[in-house]
Amino acid sequence: MANNSTADFQPQITLLYCRQSLAAEAKPVQGNRSGDGFSARLVLLPCSSKVQLPHLMRLLEQGSDGLQIAACPEKACQHLVGSNRAEKRIARGRELLEQVGMGAERLGLDRGAGLSLDDLMEMAGQRAEAVRALGPNPMKGV
Amino acid sequence: MITAEWKPIEEMVGYLRGHKKVLVIGCATCVAECAAGGEREVETLAPLLAMAMQNDGNPIEVKSATLERQCEPEFLEAIAEAAAEADAIVSVACGIGMQLVAERYADTSLYPGVNTTSLSIREEPGLWTSRCAACGDCVLGFTFGLCPVARCAKSLQNGPCGGTRTNGMCEINEDTPCIWRLIVERATARGRLEDLTKVRPPKNWSNSPAGGPKRMLREDLRS
Ligand code: SF4
Ligand code: SF4
Repeated sequence: MANNSTADFQPQITLLYCRQSLAAEAKPVQGNRSGDGFSARLVLLPCSSKVQLPHLMRLLEQGSDGLQIAACPEKACQHLVGSNRAEKRIARGRELLEQVGMGAERLGLDRGAGLSLDDLMEMAGQRAEAVRALGPNPMKGV
Repeated sequence: MITAEWKPIEEMVGYLRGHKKVLVIGCATCVAECAAGGEREVETLAPLLAMAMQNDGNPIEVKSATLERQCEPEFLEAIAEAAAEADAIVSVACGIGMQLVAERYADTSLYPGVNTTSLSIREEPGLWTSRCAACGDCVLGFTFGLCPVARCAKSLQNGPCGGTRTNGMCEINEDTPCIWRLIVERATARGRLEDLTKVRPPKNWSNSPAGGPKRMLREDLRS
């Protein structure tokens, strides 16, 4: 059940992560996880460059409080420029979200290598903190 | 291709206040190539408008569709049902496509989601630059294949003006080459610089958009 009151707001974060950014021994995970004061839905991507604005905007339209992308370090992208493309798209997405009054902080990208599940949850938690100031997504329950 | 750019979302919000069911439509041809009105842009804009209107206190229901072409009547039938349900349509096709939609679905309010801006090429990924202004009396044969109408800020027919920067760029914009510099360079490379001094017949501007609405008739093609 979506929680709409700001006081006990538990941001619902969708975390889309590149599978190459995971530590070699880490098992790819998908689905819902609970964090400290937030929840995260983890979505595995073959490369961060697979994120496209239509998908990201639909996720927000459907009520996700925040979206976090986990990409590989700049020089480590398996598609060479994939994560840079993703980064540029995210920058554009943030501008558009600001324009529609949703707040740029509902969307972000961070880079990392050899990530564990805990690292991914930490990234989602940081997005949750950034989103907390904005309050629940106004599209929730619409 | 015909290029277009999104209008500020704030302007679209202004149009949509008072409407409840909105259909956002794109065109998979020119405006898709210039990343303004293809499926990707339509499917980005539709949820953005839903969010913008929600935050504006005027929630709307948004549907979306991308037509193969918006400037040919046959393709418009694909949205007949969706258009009948909508009380407003936002089109991100060029002004030609938009007007055909406004004509076909005359009972529904039609709003532009883009400004149609130029006839351009994609020079590099993410960069489009003008090549033609549909002037109606093409002079490319005199100017070594470089258009002085669309690509000179003053549409000079005998340039360059005195404003060319020392680095060869136009005085109006340091990222835009002075087209007359390029014309002179190309003429020089061909060993035909003298050609530019020849007197040319006056250009027929009455066949340009300044000459009024265009009506092109070909009797041999009419039924
Ligand atoms: S001279 Fe006229 S028709 Fe020819 S390219 Fe330039 S604007 Fe277009
Ligand atoms: S600098 Fe060149 S392109 Fe610019 S206005 Fe003058 S002649 Fe035209």
